[in-house]
Amino acid sequence: MKYFRSALTRIAGVFTRNRGDDDLREEFQAHLDMETAENVRRGLSPEDARRRAMLAAGGLAQAAEAVRDQRGLPWVEGVAADVKYAWRALRHSPAFAAVVVATLALGIGANTAIFSVVRGVLLKPLPHRDGSRLVYLRQSMDGPGGENLSFSVPEVRDIRDGARSLAALAEFSEWSVSLLRNDGAARMPVGLVTGNYFAVMGLSPILGRVMDASNDGPGVPIVMVLTHDGWMSRFGGDSGVIGRVVKVDDKPATIIGVLQAAPFFPGRADALLNMVASEHHLSAFMVEGRVHRMTELVARLTPDATVQQARGEVQATYERMTRDHTEAYNPGQHYRVAVIPFRKVIGERASLTLWLLMGAAVFVMIITAANVANLTLMRGVRREHELVVRAALGAGVARLRRLLLVENLFLTLGGAAIGLVIAVAGVRLLTSFAARYSPRADEIRLDGTVLGFTLLLSVAVALLLAFLASLPRDGAFASWISGATRMTGNLGKNRLQRALVVVQVAVSVVLLAGAGLLTRTMIRLSNVQTGLRTEEILTIQFSLLTPPQTRDPAADANAKDRYERMKLEAAALPGVTEVGIGSPMPLRRSDVPLEVKVEGKVFDPREAPPRAEIRTADPNFFRAAGIPLLRGRYFETTDRRDGAKVVIINHTLADQLFPGEDPVGKNLAWTGEILKFTPFGGEWRTIVGVVASTQDGGLDAKPVPSVYMPFAQVPAIGGGLVIRADSNVAQLVAPATQIVRRIAPTTPIDRVQTISQVREESVAPRRLNAALISSFGLLAVIIAAVGIAGVLAFSVSARTTEIGIRMSLGADPGRVQRMILGEGGTLLLIGLVAGGAGALLAARVIRGLLFDIEPNDPTTLVGVSLMMAAIGLVACWVPALRAARIDPAITMRAQ
Amino acid sequence: MAPKLDVKQGTLALMILKTLEGLGPLHGYGIARRIEETSRNRLVLNYGTLYPALLKLEQEGFIKAEWKQSENNRRAKYYGLTAAGKKQLEREAREWYQTADLIAAFLTPRPEET
Repeated sequence: MKYFRSALTRIAGVFTRNRGDDDLREEFQAHLDMETAENVRRGLSPEDARRRAMLAAGGLAQAAEAVRDQRGLPWVEGVAADVKYAWRALRHSPAFAAVVVATLALGIGANTAIFSVVRGVLLKPLPHRDGSRLVYLRQSMDGPGGENLSFSVPEVRDIRDGARSLAALAEFSEWSVSLLRNDGAARMPVGLVTGNYFAVMGLSPILGRVMDASNDGPGVPIVMVLTHDGWMSRFGGDSGVIGRVVKVDDKPATIIGVLQAAPFFPGRADALLNMVASEHHLSAFMVEGRVHRMTELVARLTPDATVQQARGEVQATYERMTRDHTEAYNPGQHYRVAVIPFRKVIGERASLTLWLLMGAAVFVMIITAANVANLTLMRGVRREHELVVRAALGAGVARLRRLLLVENLFLTLGGAAIGLVIAVAGVRLLTSFAARYSPRADEIRLDGTVLGFTLLLSVAVALLLAFLASLPRDGAFASWISGATRMTGNLGKNRLQRALVVVQVAVSVVLLAGAGLLTRTMIRLSNVQTGLRTEEILTIQFSLLTPPQTRDPAADANAKDRYERMKLEAAALPGVTEVGIGSPMPLRRSDVPLEVKVEGKVFDPREAPPRAEIRTADPNFFRAAGIPLLRGRYFETTDRRDGAKVVIINHTLADQLFPGEDPVGKNLAWTGEILKFTPFGGEWRTIVGVVASTQDGGLDAKPVPSVYMPFAQVPAIGGGLVIRADSNVAQLVAPATQIVRRIAPTTPIDRVQTISQVREESVAPRRLNAALISSFGLLAVIIAAVGIAGVLAFSVSARTTEIGIRMSLGADPGRVQRMILGEGGTLLLIGLVAGGAGALLAARVIRGLLFDIEPNDPTTLVGVSLMMAAIGLVACWVPALRAARIDPAITMRAQ
Repeated sequence: MAPKLDVKQGTLALMILKTLEGLGPLHGYGIARRIEETSRNRLVLNYGTLYPALLKLEQEGFIKAEWKQSENNRRAKYYGLTAAGKKQLEREAREWYQTADLIAAFLTPRPEET
């Protein structure tokens, strides 16, 4: 209470200082008068009485100051004075303040923006209840498509029974349905889930309810829980959706709830449906087939279990399982299982790129801080005189340090304020960037934590700057004044400035090298040959049949007939030169790899059996897509449904199955455990041609072995039009889409894309990567160049006298210029060497982001070093030239 | 004359409170004189010591200041003890005796050491 009360009155005292001062003066006066009167009464002369009274008082000014300190909060008042002073001091050097604030704004802005992305996507706890207890299970094997196999129903059963530390398993099967709306049909990515999914994942509805065990199994009505994304994008966030019945794949489904916002993995989901929505998922195929893997598994750990424990148990269960069912796990393919925290697996794809950006931003911050430190040091030397005077007037070292701190806080907080504006713009750009890598991009916010980070950064820089300035120990001011420190700065400080320049150069080189490698990656990637002859190609992908319909011959014939009509109409569009039918579209993965066998060939059973992706093509497909024929022939119209079964293989598969042989005329067939789940037979098919491989998995992926079957000879499980035109194929998008809509009004169109757009999908993220790092690199180089120039210019101005003397002793301007250039060049060289070493290390870290280029690529390193050296030398030139122009007569006179 | 002593931290407040308890409301000069007299002039209070201490006590609510006419018709600021100040005086005096006893006990040579 006592403290509270005195604190209050003291705070009030800060604001009532003038009135209090009058009061105090009068009180002191009264005291003096009374004492003087008393002294007179004792018999002293009036003068003596007055003198005695004054003597007894002790210094009046000090007393008043002591009372004032007691009255208000001296620290606050001191700071207020410091703030006022700092403001005035900075206003007197606006150029310095502007450069420092601008530099800091860039550094702090970049760091704030990128930190907010890193936090939103990688660090923030998941929105799921107790999200840290969720683990993702991943089954993989060697070979194409083996990175993430997902699980089959029997496997899920085994793991559930075997791993005690997993409290419950949530099953999620990626699926897509056509959603029929008044304005046409649309394909919608969904998840098929078991009733316990929501409880296990810790997700709650924001509207309606979620599913439970009563929604499992066959014979129940189809229910749908919209995800937050799906609710917003497909239903406009309409709160009246609950209870509405919509048509999915021509079946009625009731919307029972809307889920809280949450990221989905591995892909986006607009809605979650119970398993009954897909006959396939409840079929014996699915329920009994150990290799029929369609389920993603997320598990919740029991309260006392660790990830490590779960990993051990899942591992043990998995090993037992593979021993019991050797037929499903070919040892040559190294089947394996991993248990990964869910938060980590969601951030997996974004992680490397984002940490790279964060690292680059930190580097920019280092350069920024180094540069500002240098500016502050230089200014500090010029201000030494002023500081000495202030010290002589009674300011202690602590007080001076505080003054410097306040000044620097002014600068860094000013920088942070502008930096935040930059960050707001940056976050908007980065959010769309991050959305390519992470489902959590919409969780990116400039929230309190991020602002705290920014504030911390600003204060840290201010502290660093304030304590970098050298102040003498208390009581040592005299020697500081008299020493040779004035204007030249002492040797130690000079060394610090030089070291800071070296750091700037080195860090710039590292950033530039990273930028160079990423830029070259991007260029290499955009120069990759797709395998297609031309890019003037439009692709429209859509399935006229649902999976069950493909087993119905009448529906199949009808669908093929409609594809054919669309093809004819599209071919009549102006400018169109060729139209083909097939599936999937060129440069797209088919996602259905099957094992193949070759007549008369036995493969080593210890090795992974050869697998190839299934593709279909009509006679015009290859010509329309521009896929070159290497051997044999394309399909002909004579390759009918009832004709001899034929296939065309791509170059990759030909190399793998028939090294050094001519594959044309050989027979191959589909085989393996999965075949029975497909509508294809295992009969022998004759190879009639070999075509070039295309970049189906993206420009940076290896071509996948593929088998093309004639569109006419297999059920139409998928389909699409490949339209080739003379020029400007993009303008065909509208008329071609119209044709499809007219002939198949209830069919959702999956994708309408030109080949250049498909290419762009691979290149765009890399381009943005390269652009971001390059702009950081450029920023770093500019700041570093300004830094070198500044330090040298300062050195020249500090050594004016020395240079004057040298010149009057016979040094010619050229020699002086060389001297200064040499000084800068040495710093530059040390920085380049250190930076080169750093670049080699950094490049190893980002190896995963490079394509077709070695991390220690000498061209990049040399190029970057030369660039830095050139810019650095230009930066040295200006002060060197100024040094050479020094007129010895004038300098000597100035002394 | 006995050597001059510095006022020990914290003891001045006690002296001021005790003075005001004995003499009633008093101005700064009066308080200073009284303390100096009581200490038989071993203590000298300059303004820089006295007035911050008065202000501190006022801020803590133990004394109250008021401008009044002095006996020789001069305006002066009078300080008077408040109820809280009275309690504080009792408490501090008690603590002081305890501390003094304790210190005395420590400083007094024990029998076995002599």
